Amino acid sequence: MADHTVCSTEELPAGASRLIEADGLEIGVFNCGGELLAIEDRCSHDDGPLAEGEFDPGTCTVECPRHGSLFDLRTGSPKSLPAFAPVETFEVRVEDGVIKLEVD
Amino acid sequence: MNPPETATLDPKLAEREAIKDINQDYKAKFGFNDPETGYVYKAPKGLSRQLVEDISEYKDEPQWMRDFRIKAYEHFESRPTPQWGGNLNQIDWDDIHYFVRASEGNSANWDEVPEDIKNTFDRLGIPEAERKFLSGVGAQYESEVVYHQVNEKLEAQGVIFTDMDTALREHEDLLREYWATVIPPNDNKLAALNSAVWSGGSFVYVPAGVKVEMPLQAYFRINTENMGQFERTLIIAEEGSDVTYIEGCTAPVYSSDSLHSAVVEIVAKPGARVRYTTVQNWSQNVFNLVTKRAVAHENATMEWVDCNLGSKLTMKYPSIYLLGEGAHGEVLSIAFAGDGQHQDAGAKIIHAAPKTTSSIFAKSISKDGGRSTYRGLLEVAAGATGARSKVVCDALLLDEDSRSDTYPTIRIDESDADIGHEATVSKVGDDQLFYLQSRGLSEEDASKMIVNGFIEPVTKELPMEYAVELNRLIELQMEGSIG
Repeated sequence: MADHTVCSTEELPAGASRLIEADGLEIGVFNCGGELLAIEDRCSHDDGPLAEGEFDPGTCTVECPRHGSLFDLRTGSPKSLPAFAPVETFEVRVEDGVIKLEVD
Repeated sequence: MNPPETATLDPKLAEREAIKDINQDYKAKFGFNDPETGYVYKAPKGLSRQLVEDISEYKDEPQWMRDFRIKAYEHFESRPTPQWGGNLNQIDWDDIHYFVRASEGNSANWDEVPEDIKNTFDRLGIPEAERKFLSGVGAQYESEVVYHQVNEKLEAQGVIFTDMDTALREHEDLLREYWATVIPPNDNKLAALNSAVWSGGSFVYVPAGVKVEMPLQAYFRINTENMGQFERTLIIAEEGSDVTYIEGCTAPVYSSDSLHSAVVEIVAKPGARVRYTTVQNWSQNVFNLVTKRAVAHENATMEWVDCNLGSKLTMKYPSIYLLGEGAHGEVLSIAFAGDGQHQDAGAKIIHAAPKTTSSIFAKSISKDGGRSTYRGLLEVAAGATGARSKVVCDALLLDEDSRSDTYPTIRIDESDADIGHEATVSKVGDDQLFYLQSRGLSEEDASKMIVNGFIEPVTKELPMEYAVELNRLIELQMEGSIG
């Protein structure tokens, strides 16, 4: 398990998202109204760049730009087809004003 | 409409009655068109953001639906036209009327339907079918549903069967919960188009435990030249319920093309059973590009019976996602490609849970240079242990000018899956014809008999009236008189 620095909390305000690379994985980090969440940037349906899709902070979901599956950022589970398998989620925490990510 | 009692006919007489017009050609039976006098609204040709907003405004939709349409329109515009399957580059997107309203609202009273439209559906036998063997009927003419009726007993049991525009007004929360969860607007370019300009279609909700004994039917009719019909259908079958839905489609014969691009979403909850039957008989100037997808939860059964006879080009691959343990999916598909036709049809089944089972039986007939294609996907995802499936594709070529292609894709991520795949391509042989002719049949009748035998596994799954209709349509195709 390794810690990765994402950015400072000021750089990721509510409603914002950011893409980082950690241990060879592309990971999207999202701020849903103060709740920090992270998922792998790879749709379970067709390997689309999931975290780069439309982010809805109100429902804490992101929509895959390739075929439109909507994913719950808290659980990584798809809420609509064509994806049916969940994507990986990662733990995010804040230390001294810095957002950090745990990657297994 | 209050259906009168029907006298019980001798079955043989009934069948003779049903097939009496067997040699009537498509143009006379389905290919006529009505004058467009009295139309309420006909959008100018072409698609624009303004038109999408106008449709939503015209229908007085809630903001979320308007936003949904606009987002889908932007997606349609940004997405390239698919370059696989049939040749979609022939479609001139700017030469289509995307919305045509033929009458003011829809009615539950047949007598209130405008005369021309009523005559059309009378000629197509819709009210007669309702009286005889249906639980409910919806009839869509151009962009909107003009008539809708459902059996009162079913309504009392909580069954909802209405057109989609009415459902959005009267059951908005229920509709929104499931809307586009099976087929998102950016699933593909045609689903995006449908999502942008959708109009009409059916909304079906069957409460838990309710079994709808007789089928619900929708009938779709295009009348205008260069028309696009974009209905959306959503069926929700709650736990342990059972419903059969049948759709039929026809259009007039024109020299220029029309477009039909529907979206059909089905949710079969645990233990539910849904059968969706299509007898597609568009005239040969219609591009038929439809996205159909169902999800089957635990121990649910989903069945697609898909018969494609008409159209210039059909691209349609009904799919089933088996998401719950023990779910079962079946696709029975028939395609008939005659002169100038390309039927690119097939099925997709995704086993995404343990102990799921499925079967795909696809049969195609090609004649007079027609082209039929089977394109299918069978997937067993990781975790779907103990999955069983059988895929059978049979193609029959009636002459040397015709063509048949098969593109089966199978992806298996579990080692204990039990999958069978069989494919045959056959030609009606001279020896078969000779044998039947030696029994006194003409060559034409012998060919028909061979074709009828070939499609029998599908026709026997249809209600009698539809089996007779399908056989009749196949016979028309055999005579080359459709379209």
